Amino acid sequence: MASSALKASSSLCVRPSLSQPKISGLRSVSLPIVYPSLTSRCVLQICCAAKPETVDKVCKIVKKQLALPDDSSLTGESKFSALGADSLDTVEIVMGLEEEFGISVEEESAQAITTVQEAADMIEKLMEKKGA
Amino acid sequence: MKVPCCLFRNFSYVPPPPLVPVQLPSSGEAHLWYVVPDEVKDPSLLSQYMDILSPCEKENVLSFRGEGLKKAAVLARALVRTTIARYQINGHVNPGSLKFCKNKYGKPELHWEHDLGKPEHKVHFNLSHTSSLIACAIAVNSLIGIDVEDKQRKLKSNLVSFARRYFTPHEVKVLSSIQDPELQRQHFIKLWTLKESYVKALGRGFSAQPFKTFTIRIRESESGDICALNCLDNKAGITVECMDDPNRLSKNWEFATMELMGSHYAAVCMENSAAHQTDQGSYPMRLIVRKTIPFVKDELVS
Repeated sequence: MASSALKASSSLCVRPSLSQPKISGLRSVSLPIVYPSLTSRCVLQICCAAKPETVDKVCKIVKKQLALPDDSSLTGESKFSALGADSLDTVEIVMGLEEEFGISVEEESAQAITTVQEAADMIEKLMEKKGA
Repeated sequence: MKVPCCLFRNFSYVPPPPLVPVQLPSSGEAHLWYVVPDEVKDPSLLSQYMDILSPCEKENVLSFRGEGLKKAAVLARALVRTTIARYQINGHVNPGSLKFCKNKYGKPELHWEHDLGKPEHKVHFNLSHTSSLIACAIAVNSLIGIDVEDKQRKLKSNLVSFARRYFTPHEVKVLSSIQDPELQRQHFIKLWTLKESYVKALGRGFSAQPFKTFTIRIRESESGDICALNCLDNKAGITVECMDDPNRLSKNWEFATMELMGSHYAAVCMENSAAHQTDQGSYPMRLIVRKTIPFVKDELVS
């Protein structure tokens, strides 16, 4: 969980601990108890990242579509295009995700997804909406 | 807002080999240049290609996984740069000195930074690649889009389900009416490349023009049957119809579809200039196709 959740990215929000008087730089931010071992590093907390299981399922579908070997290492940051996917692959991947998760992705979103993480985040958002 | 990709040149480089100059496409004409990655094996040639890339482009090349993808990425950028350099616009002949930027939707464009104003002939280009062929289309004063696809490409999903999901009812009807599975698959691939070429010509990103919002129509044959793309000669009778904007005239866009090397389908979509339109419709696009290994040889194909 920690490895996929902790990364510096423009899509994350920073939640400093409320008891900290002032932030003088990222290093001085310490988070609530959840991440006790990381106070000396740059720590950011994800607002709404997808579950690792979702990311794993997306990776599996991507590997299948792009005919990548099972042991190839894909992460949330993996960009479809860097893996050799063209737009037809991306659309097929989205179709595969729709079938796997029972969701429906708007076309505008379908062709705009570029990484595994983006796909996983979108899936969970759609599943949440569906469940609501 | 136009943002140049990279502003600084590396001054410690060796000038690239000369390129055979070519005349710019005239009005209503498009040029298609393509390179086959498997035919480019010489490491020093690849190194020469890498040398003409900007630092941003080099970084992008390195972000690809695997040597095959990296090589394709280098070839793609080298193809664009060397192709445009041949036209010697405003005396520019060094492919490494060309600057690119992105339009507000992210489509790559040529960037002219000198303050003499834009050149009289605005060069438009578009790039498409598969792992086995990379193509670049060039036009002057006309938007242009190109897509290439391996003829043998097979979908992982069911063709007709895919079409129902992403194409328009008319397109699904034509596709479903083709009985032979192989002919159906070929038609699908051609249709996909045509739709892609249109969206890329528009240059506003896929989200701005989802595939379900426009129909590619093929003119019916004399017998009234809807002609599949297989039985059509390459330029006649392909039009686009926008579902959401009936005011967008379909005669503004010309399409051409062809086979390259017997192994790939290519589709080119070009905006018609006003001078090229008559009451009877517009003159078909003239397309000049050349195969190239930049710095090594060029071959006129058609």
